[in-house]
Order: sequence, then structure tokens, then C-alpha cells
Amino acid sequence: MRKMLVFYLALVIALLAVVPAFAQEPTEVKVWIAFTDNRLDWANQKAAAFNEKFPQYNVVIEGYKSYEELFAATALAAEQGAIPAVVQYFEAATQVARDSGYFKPIAEALGDRTEVNGIPVNFDDFIGPVSAYYTLDGLWTSMPWNTSSAIMFSNQNILDAAGVEAIPATWAEMEAACEKIMAMEGAPEYCFTFPNHGWFFEQWLAQQNATYANNDNGRAARATELTFSGDAGVNILAWLDDMASKGYLYYSGAQGGASWSTVDQSFLSQQTAMAMYSSSDTAIYTNTGRENGFEVVASFLPYNDETGWTGNLIGGASLWLADGLSPEVEDGALTFLLWLTNTENAAEWHQVTGYIAIRESSIELLNTEGWYDAIEANGGSELWAKDPAVQASKGKAWYAENPNFIVAADQLARSTITPATQGVILGAFPAIRNVVTGAIDTVLLTDEDPAAVLTKAAADAGVILEEYNLISAP
Amino acid sequence: MAWLFRQTGLSPLISAAIGLAAGLGGTLVFMLPLNFCTFEAERPTLDLIFGLLLIGVGLALTLSAAAWLVRWWRGRGQSQPAAASSQPGAFRGKIMPWLLLAPTLIILALFLYYPSLDTFSLSTQLARLGARRSAFVCVDNFTRLVTDQSYLNSLALTLVMSAAIVMIGLVLSLLVALAAYQPVKGARVYRTLLIWPYAISPAVAGVIFLLLFNPVGGIINYLLNGVGLPSVPWLNNPAYAPWAVILASVWKSMGFNILFYIAGLQNVPKDLQEAAAIDGANAVQRFRHVVLPLLSPITFFLIITNMTYAFFETFGTIDYLTAGGPLSSTTTLMYRIYYIGIQNNDLGKAAAQSIILFVMVIGLTVLQFRSTGRRVTYGA
Repeated sequence: MRKMLVFYLALVIALLAVVPAFAQEPTEVKVWIAFTDNRLDWANQKAAAFNEKFPQYNVVIEGYKSYEELFAATALAAEQGAIPAVVQYFEAATQVARDSGYFKPIAEALGDRTEVNGIPVNFDDFIGPVSAYYTLDGLWTSMPWNTSSAIMFSNQNILDAAGVEAIPATWAEMEAACEKIMAMEGAPEYCFTFPNHGWFFEQWLAQQNATYANNDNGRAARATELTFSGDAGVNILAWLDDMASKGYLYYSGAQGGASWSTVDQSFLSQQTAMAMYSSSDTAIYTNTGRENGFEVVASFLPYNDETGWTGNLIGGASLWLADGLSPEVEDGALTFLLWLTNTENAAEWHQVTGYIAIRESSIELLNTEGWYDAIEANGGSELWAKDPAVQASKGKAWYAENPNFIVAADQLARSTITPATQGVILGAFPAIRNVVTGAIDTVLLTDEDPAAVLTKAAADAGVILEEYNLISAP
Repeated sequence: MAWLFRQTGLSPLISAAIGLAAGLGGTLVFMLPLNFCTFEAERPTLDLIFGLLLIGVGLALTLSAAAWLVRWWRGRGQSQPAAASSQPGAFRGKIMPWLLLAPTLIILALFLYYPSLDTFSLSTQLARLGARRSAFVCVDNFTRLVTDQSYLNSLALTLVMSAAIVMIGLVLSLLVALAAYQPVKGARVYRTLLIWPYAISPAVAGVIFLLLFNPVGGIINYLLNGVGLPSVPWLNNPAYAPWAVILASVWKSMGFNILFYIAGLQNVPKDLQEAAAIDGANAVQRFRHVVLPLLSPITFFLIITNMTYAFFETFGTIDYLTAGGPLSSTTTLMYRIYYIGIQNNDLGKAAAQSIILFVMVIGLTVLQFRSTGRRVTYGA
């Protein structure tokens, strides 16, 4: 009896293994991304919609906990000759991805095709700073996906109570506003805060049109020296130091300085009036304020009045196409990349997360009243359809209903594109960022001179860059 | 060394040959893979000294191995007749035990020993994950640490923090154990509850204390404000952050310590205490002169295990609580390796620093073996 059971089981298993082999096997396209939260859910729902539209392909998404972990997994997979077709890298790893030799510029894979499987290639549609960042040596290198910029969120109720008429746009206006806010009765504990992440330093540097590294921020040729310790860099540290010593800046320092969550907590619990942050959390900030009875207004990241505003740069990540794929897999990957970033999908991704709508046409679409139907027709995801803001704005122009969502894209659109605002392309960038974060930590927590601290940071970072270039340059 | 070989009673010629072989091996064990790079003319003096040190360590290793082999060889003849071959339950052949051990040994060799050896070669290189190549840098990854102020700070911090964790942890645990040892109602429940924190992972301890010490919404500051005291910047001031980590670590390891102390207290003979009481010693004196000395073996054991814990297992707590900051004030040696190797992807330097930590583990382990093997005696 038992023997028969085992036999039948074996038969079933054998059949299960053999049957799909006879069916038309779709080409598998592996996509690895560094999300494990609802952003992974969204990607999975999109992949399912894609597989339905293009039955010849089977896109399989795999989520990793962090960019570092994903990078390690990719390096190991590449060593074993099993690299996935598409891998997500954050912007700071752009040079590392380039140097690894694992990837092929998308423009090179496309050749002179103007469409793949019926999906048009129209890179002109991407907003300026986005295409400027990911165009390297004149080639469209990787596919921008999650893109954000640094902006400021203000608690309008506190600003009104303190008699601050306009949201501060410059450092001097920040100081004036803080003076009023901190002097009023029932003042919050601090005036403003920011997460000490190297990215904010980069933003303020770009605003002053100063480069981070030589050779036009590593875009004319490989960056070999760091230039961030010039006057513009010292201005930033000196200003932060000044604001902290006056009791305006709340530096939460915890968690290695990159204190995203403590900034959330202090702003959302109304202990600070303003918070500089990534636009990626626009939805959370706006909604939490609404739920707790205060109005959150997004605005451009304040700049140094003495040097003026040139522009801001992007942050986020892009999708890289592996080199050495078979033509079928490569076409599948290209089709998926182009489809995932088409007008409707870029708009949908923006609405679900707060990342920028990276296409001009997406912004135009969201300014019309018909965006809901267009996205639905394109295969809108379940996550998107259930989004409360999406439902609430259905049938109305999205940006008119949700003005905070346009701020980051506006800030980027108004930026003048120079090597400084294009953003630096640099080897060992994550490690160098950590050095800069450490320098800001030092300035805010000790009495050391900002200029001296920054000079030492540039020297330390220079050693890291030199060592990186020594073993990574082709 | 020479006396050892004389003791073995081998002919001087053979002894000399073994000594020579061991000496040569000792010199070469590190220098051959390094290709004697520390003695190149353009290398700084520091590298030369480090090279000599390595030869010294190599010599000590091979000579003691040779001595052990010689002694084993001499002793073989005497112990062989009494070998266990006739004992029931013992393996007769020589292959069978090895065969049975093979799966474990293979896994150990493949996943533990080989990677460890690889760490040694990695420590002499400039290497990054995903880089096109690596560069040989001799012993730079080690010798540069001597002048690296941030490394020396980490070292000092690790020592001070470990000492604080051990001392505060043991004193508090002993006090709690004394209280929990009292025959009160529900003592068993109390004791079980006291041991709970030990079952929590260091990372979870980090999260719990992050909620407690949180500078914005933390419970501790809320309570402090409640009694009219100012908020303490627990996690964003380098003067307080190490204390937050120490407190979390002490809390985490207390259950383990209390368990051992309660066991130790149960082994303190009642008659000794009674005799002291009859001689007129009060409770404090009895504790000081009778109980404490009798607990000393356990205390010694706990010092070693807590030291190991403080050195190597606080990583999860630090990662969640402070991530090494602010101002690197909680970057212990262990956390530093993670930071350099994983965050900064600088594998060579991380490997070198992990080898230094590895040497420290060996030191602590030897101490622990010696203490548990010889010195710990339970009871009077």
C-alpha cells in the first residue's frame, strides 16, 4: 500500500517536472531590487501586469534588504556567471557599477532602435536633471527609476503662530524665521532639523555651483581628487554650526548621524517647526500632518543667499542592464525597463511613493483630470488603486489637489544643469559620504573649526578614492 | 625550548634537526606568503619591527607544536598498552571514528577554516568586493593602525566599555541574585522573570533601548521631565551614548549572571555562615568574608564570559541603538570591522582588523579554558 503511494507520488512529481517543458517556455528575466517593503509589492504587481501583456517573457523580481546587500549578491552572482538581467543601484554606486564591468549602457544595447516590442524609446521625455545624471560619456547608461530631491517640510501652523509670513527660501531667511519662532510663546523645542546624511551636504554644494570632485565632478574623466573642502563646503558647515550653537538646529545625531527616523519623530510630533528631508516621504509627511491637525507645506531646500541658487541634484536609484545576456533576455529586459518607466507607470510610481514623476509627459498627465483612467488602462496596480490619496483625487488634477508632490520636480526642473548640479560620479562614494557625515558630526558636536575639519575629511576621503581607483579603474 | 628537548631524552642530533626544522618553519610560516616584504629597503621601520614580531610568533607556534609532537611521540609507547581497544563501546579500527567525524570536519574545513585562512591573505591586500583586481600591500593594513587615531580610540573605548559592562553587570547581578535567593513567596517566578532578558537577542535589546532612550519620544526622558529633571541627550551626545550601550548590554547579560550567582549561592554551605554568625559576624561581614570568597570561582568565570560578551556580542545592540555614533563614541572594534568591511566595502583593512580581534578571542578563550579547567571548584 505504502509502496504504491510512493510510486504515485513519484509519478506525479515526474509529470509536473516534464509537462511545462513541452509548453512554450517564456524567457525568464531576473530583476533584483533593493526594496523589501510596499515598493517591492508594487514592483511585483507591475511585473505580473507586464508578464500578462508580454507572455513571451517572465519577469521575476527579487527584493534585497539594502543596496549594500544587493551589491554583494550581484558581485557573487557575477563571479559565478549567473548575473540577473537587471540590477538596481543607488546613485552613489554609479561609478562602482560602471567600473565593475558587469553592465552594458542601455543606449548601447538599444543601438539605433526607436522602439522595442512596440514600446517607444523617447529619452527626451525624462526631466532634465534626471537624464543629466544618468547620461555618462554621452550615453544613456542606466534606467532612472526611484528619483527624489532634498526639499523642506514646514509646519504651517507654527509658522503662522510666530508671524512668519513666507516660508524661508534662503539661509538668512531661515535664521530670521527661527528667531521669530523661538522667541514666541509656546515655541517648539527647536526651529529646524535635518538628517545628517552626506546627501544634504551634496545638495547645498550643488546649490552654490561648487563641485564635489575634480574633472567636472567626475563627468569629463575619472574623478581623482576631491574638491568639496573649498569655500562652498566650509560655508555649509559653518552655517550648520552657527544654527546649532544658536539653538535653532536640532541635531539628533543618533544612529550614526543618518538620523532619518529621529527627524521624522521630531517634526511629526511638532517639536521642530521645519525639517529638511527627501521628497521620497512627501506622502507620509503630508498625511501625518493632516491626521494630527497641522498643515505641512513642502518647499525648495533653502540656499546660501551669498552664493545664490544654481540648482539641486537628484538622489535615488536606477536600474542597470547586465552585460553578456542572450539577445532574447536582453530584449526582454529592455522591454521591461522601457515599460516600467513609461508615462503611466512613472506617474503611478510617483503617486504611490512620492518619488518624482520622472517624465515630462507623466507630469502633464497628472495635471489633467483624466489621469486615473489612463493609468487604469495601462494596468494600474492594486497598491495604487487602494491608495487613499489616489482615490481622493480621482477625477481632479492631481497636482492641484496635492501641491506638495510637485515641489521636488519643480526644484529640479528650474535647476540650471552644470557639472555641479549634475551630481558627482565618484568611486567609493558611499565610503566618502560616510567621511563627510563624520565631519558634520564633528562640527556639530565639538568646538573644532569647520574649515579644519573639512580639510581633514577631504584628505581622508582622498586616500579612500586613491585606493579605490588603484584597484577598480579598468 | 632546549630544556624541553633535553627532557624528552632524544639524541641531541635528532633534537637539533627537529629544532632546526621547526625554526625554519616558524620563520617561513608568515614570511613565505608575505615574500619577506617587510624587510624590503623602502619599507618603514615599523614594518621591519612588525616582520620580526611575526617571525617571533611563527617560531613560538612551530616550536611549541614540535615540542608537543615530540612529547606525544615519547608518550605513545607508554600509554598504548592501556589503550581503550578492549573497552566496550570503543571503536576498534582507526578509520571508523574519522569516517564518522568526516561530515563535520569537511563542513568545518570548507566553511570555517578555509575562509579564516582566506582572511589572512585578504589582510595583506587592498581589496573591494566587485573590484577588478586587488593589490598586495604587505602589512600596511596592520601597521597603519598604530598611527590611526580613530583605531586607537576604538581600542580604548572597547576596553573601557567592556570593563564597565563587566563590573556594573556583575555587581548588579550579585545584588539581584542575593535578593532573589531570599526565600520569599513566588521566588521561582521571580527568578524565571529575571532570566528572561538573556533569551532576547542583542539586536532586540538594541531596539528596546532605542525606544527607551530615544531623544525625542523616549520613555526615560519623559520620566525625567516628569520629575522636573532636564532631558538627557542619551543617543546624540558622545558623553552619554556609550552609557546607553553599556546599560543595554548590562541588562541583556544580567539574566545569565544572575542564574550563575543563584547557583553559586545555593552551594555556599549553611554551616559556614552559621559558624560565622555564632562568632558574632553580622550579615554584611558574613557576606564579605564568607559568601564573597566562596563565590570567587564563579565570579572569575563570569568575568571571562562577560568579557567575551562585551567584546564580541554587543554588535547587534550597538547597530540598532547608535550605529556607532555620535562622533564614533560607540564604535567598538567589532562594530568598526563591520563599518569598514560592509559599509565602506574595504575588505583588506577589515580583514586585518578582524585578525587582531581574532588574536584577542584566542587570548580570552585560553583564559577561559584555564579558568574552567583548573581553578573553578564548587563548594568549599
